[in-house]
Amino acid sequence: MENQFDLSLTVNGVSYQREVDPRRLLSDFLRHDLGLTGTHVGCEHGVCGACTVLLDGAPVRSCLIFAPQAHEHEITTVEGLGTIDDMHPLQEAFREAHALQCGFCTPGFLTTLLPWLEEHPQPSEEEIREAISGNLCRCTGYQHIIDAVKLAAEKMAAG
Amino acid sequence: MKVQGEHLFKGTPQQVWDLFRDTEVMSAALPGTKKMELIGENIYEAVMNVRVGPVAGEFSGQLVISNENYPHSYTMTVEGRGKPGFMKGVGDVILKDQGGNQTSMEYVGEVQIGGKLAAVGQRLIDTVAKSIINQAFEILDNALTERVSADAEGREADYRKSSERDYAATVAKDLIKNVLKRTGSEDS
Amino acid sequence: MKHKIIGKRVKRVEDPRLLTGGALFVDDVNLPNMLHAAFLRSDYAHARIKNIDTSQAKTIPGVVGVYTAEDMGDAWEPGPPLVSPPPTLENVIFNSRRQVPLVKDKVKHAGEIIAVVVAENRYIAEDAVEEISLEYEPLPAVVDLEKCLEPDSPLVHEDLDSNLAAHLIQQKGDYQKALATADLVIKKRFHLDRGAAAAMENRGLVVDWNEKDQHLMVWDATQSPIPIRNGMASRLGLRTHQVRVVAPFVGGGFGPKIMMFYAEEMVLPWLTRQLKRPVKWIEDRRENFYATTQEREQIHEVEMALSREGRILGIKQKIIHDTGAYDPYGLTTPLNTQSHSMGAYDVENYYSELTVVFTNKTIVTPVRGAGRPQGIFIVERMLDFAARELDLDPREIRRLNFIPPEAFPYNHEIIDQAFTDLVFDSGNYLPAYNKALEKIGYDKFIQEEQPRLRAEGKHVGIGVVPFIETTGVGPYEGARVAIEPSGKISAATGVGTQGQSHMTSFAQIIAEVLGVEVEDVSMVTGDTAEIHWGTGTFASRGAVVAGNAVNAAALDVRQKVLALASKVLKTPEDELELEGGQVRAADIPEQSISLGELAILANPFRGAVEPGTEPGLESTKYFGPAYGATAFGVHGMILEVDPETMMIKIHKYVTVEDCGTMLNPLVVEGQIHGGVSMGLGNCYYEKLHFDESGQLLNASLADYLIPSASEMPHIEVIHENTPAPNNALGTKGVGEAGAIPVPAAFMQALENALPEYNLEITETPLSPNRLYELLQKKERNK
Repeated sequence: MENQFDLSLTVNGVSYQREVDPRRLLSDFLRHDLGLTGTHVGCEHGVCGACTVLLDGAPVRSCLIFAPQAHEHEITTVEGLGTIDDMHPLQEAFREAHALQCGFCTPGFLTTLLPWLEEHPQPSEEEIREAISGNLCRCTGYQHIIDAVKLAAEKMAAG
Repeated sequence: MKVQGEHLFKGTPQQVWDLFRDTEVMSAALPGTKKMELIGENIYEAVMNVRVGPVAGEFSGQLVISNENYPHSYTMTVEGRGKPGFMKGVGDVILKDQGGNQTSMEYVGEVQIGGKLAAVGQRLIDTVAKSIINQAFEILDNALTERVSADAEGREADYRKSSERDYAATVAKDLIKNVLKRTGSEDS
Repeated sequence: MKHKIIGKRVKRVEDPRLLTGGALFVDDVNLPNMLHAAFLRSDYAHARIKNIDTSQAKTIPGVVGVYTAEDMGDAWEPGPPLVSPPPTLENVIFNSRRQVPLVKDKVKHAGEIIAVVVAENRYIAEDAVEEISLEYEPLPAVVDLEKCLEPDSPLVHEDLDSNLAAHLIQQKGDYQKALATADLVIKKRFHLDRGAAAAMENRGLVVDWNEKDQHLMVWDATQSPIPIRNGMASRLGLRTHQVRVVAPFVGGGFGPKIMMFYAEEMVLPWLTRQLKRPVKWIEDRRENFYATTQEREQIHEVEMALSREGRILGIKQKIIHDTGAYDPYGLTTPLNTQSHSMGAYDVENYYSELTVVFTNKTIVTPVRGAGRPQGIFIVERMLDFAARELDLDPREIRRLNFIPPEAFPYNHEIIDQAFTDLVFDSGNYLPAYNKALEKIGYDKFIQEEQPRLRAEGKHVGIGVVPFIETTGVGPYEGARVAIEPSGKISAATGVGTQGQSHMTSFAQIIAEVLGVEVEDVSMVTGDTAEIHWGTGTFASRGAVVAGNAVNAAALDVRQKVLALASKVLKTPEDELELEGGQVRAADIPEQSISLGELAILANPFRGAVEPGTEPGLESTKYFGPAYGATAFGVHGMILEVDPETMMIKIHKYVTVEDCGTMLNPLVVEGQIHGGVSMGLGNCYYEKLHFDESGQLLNASLADYLIPSASEMPHIEVIHENTPAPNNALGTKGVGEAGAIPVPAAFMQALENALPEYNLEITETPLSPNRLYELLQKKERNK
């Protein structure tokens, strides 16, 4: 096809080169072109936060970014955090605290929290509430998520 | 949505009346107008690009003038549809001679919007509508002055067309003004 | 059973996949050769379609087809009726009008589907939707619940004489007699408005007709895969075994993902059979606001007759319930409202007239709470007003009227949503209520904290509200439990899962009964290939109805295990125990055999099988209750309102829940937290704004505000346990409980925080703007 963009980027440490339609959203590219379906799309207008991924380590809404904007950048998705047999302490904490129910919004919370926890190793409840206030969850009322963040901070501090 | 306001023109009611019948002037005054023509008695057809926040697209529709009482009052009915949704409005316009070559225009109307425009643009539409109207009056003021002087000098009037960029800048300015007003941080 | 797992805070088995991006949701299904659908939806709420021109759209490269109602030919038919009107009541009017796959002539709500585009990808499909040109004749919209019944109102359904969808009267005792003896009669009018379920995952479907093996494979983000399978088969003229519906991981349901037969669920199976290619459609958020069902708009005129002492003598109520443009879900929601309008109280006389109306708005079906929050709001608000009139403590008037523990089972003599008698199976209300008051610190707050904070100029208030929830209604659910040769357990139930932790809590039941670990149980929910019969996840019934079916099947398998092991080990059954995946003689642990070995023995390759025996260690059982299990709870909150900004902060939130036996308290608490967040949305944040032409004005998550972590308080959950007497596990439902009493408690607290305004709040949701208006009105009247 004409007008295709030659995209090269790194996702979860793997380099990819793909031709994409310039208007292809990063979320669609990750999910449907690379098969990394852990990133979820909940509102397509940057409000719910479910599609959050890390771009060069900083959280961004992949539904508001065109794939070509990620050209020559490094992306981390939830698949890059840990595996079923070797979960990240943040993922383990989410499980222990029952911080997820349907689990649809969870990848966005994890990717939002990962860099934040590194900068806030001992967060207060109020700080946590503010940190996750841009991610919507309809199941948990956030309480167990907050418990999980505290638990994750402890786990991460303990190494 | 109710649209209501008043504007003072530097010209006689007859001059203002004529100004509003000039499709060239009107399409210059309304941002994003791609086409405006008279297709029947008092029936105008127009195509406009509309942008309200995240909603953008082409509208096409008709403007009908009725209840004419030259040069004092008339009724305007606007109906348009496009990809962003639809709008329908009815309004009354009254021109009052204020003496000294000045005419006040009072307008009051009810506009109904639907589709994406209503669903997603609702928060912004009020400000956007006011911006369009304010900017249109600014351009019409200049156009009227140009028209009056061109008439006096017996030459063709030359109108500056407003660009969508001008319009976007005005809307942005007005939105910020509104936000500041709401948060109470504006001095005035 | 020695091995106690039911009631333990077990970590969920579904989590590792969900946490690492490995769980399958509908939009994760990508098939070779798959096409994508996008829908043209009406901008108008009410309009006649004059002409549809799809020719331009069809020319776009990548477009495979554009279809309208006409193209469907004989396959065009309205959705099935899901719930019929109650057969047990006399003089019921019910006009059934069901949603259609594609609109033929007249649009009845904004967002209704007019045409569908199928293309190689969604981007192209969306482009093509914009190229379809339509000529409409806009009609005046029917929006107002009362004006729509006036004789000159436009009609949503022109084949009917009016916009009346249903009418019925339910009564108990003799309200007029109660009225005659009353010392106080209070009359109020209430208006409750609409909200969205707003699950984080929108709806979605992938359908794949395989012409060669004549099978339809469907992935559907639904709460009810089995009824969807049955309906799709019947609509397409297929046998049920030719259709398999899988509800994979579903990103939240909250009611609207019920077996609606949404237009998309009618159109997509038809498309894949036409095109013989898989087709995917994933709802976007704006579509979700228009096309996914909503709930809660009702107007109530309520009268309460009381004695001087504060005893409720009777309640009279006129309800107008908005069902939107169609009424596929019958009377479930307003019947729930009736069932809850007497709350937890012993009310002898009740007269309730229900009028259901059609409007040009999105279809109404149950949303978490399903008519119950409205009922509780009415009765609790009325009691607050009555206490004020009678100069009674709001706590006293409630204590005086609770159904006493000895009165259970308590028959309310009306019918509930299941069309069975509204019988409260069990309950012990007073201790739970007192515990909530104690935990919120009611006395201390009223006597010390509130006066101190008021002196500091702070507006703080307390609200404590009890509620009941009818849960666990029929008709039935089933479960299949089988021991595999590996010794692991496979199990399945027909209900779908949208975050309720079924894969864990049902596994806990099986693990306890069969003496294995939770991890050894693989629980499948929502796959019609795994179990043939069932209804779905709704009405807080999973833990009760499906849970007890799972329990019954597991007990039956246990019996088969014991019978076989007794022969093999030459030990009487009652001397055997199941532990650690083994069956062993209680006294002689080395005399044992594993479940896996028994499963192999139960499925012999050679040799004669004893007549009358079945192969395998497997059982399928069903559970269907005669009537539901009634849960009870109390919510209390202390909030602060700033009468300048109208911002509200909740300082303390306590709930006492009695949902009988808990399968997993961690899960129960999670359900309650989530319910409260939706409940708070219904108090102050979430309201769907329809204008007078039926346009929804806040169809995005930027404008429709669902509570974030900043709005949510910390919630303390305390458990009480009055086991349900009519099911073996003793469970009662809890999925919707959290959302039910919140508006009633919130408004009580808000009035308590602003005593100088003497507010009487008879509506929900409020908003900062609306509260400002209410306070201004009071200021002017001062």
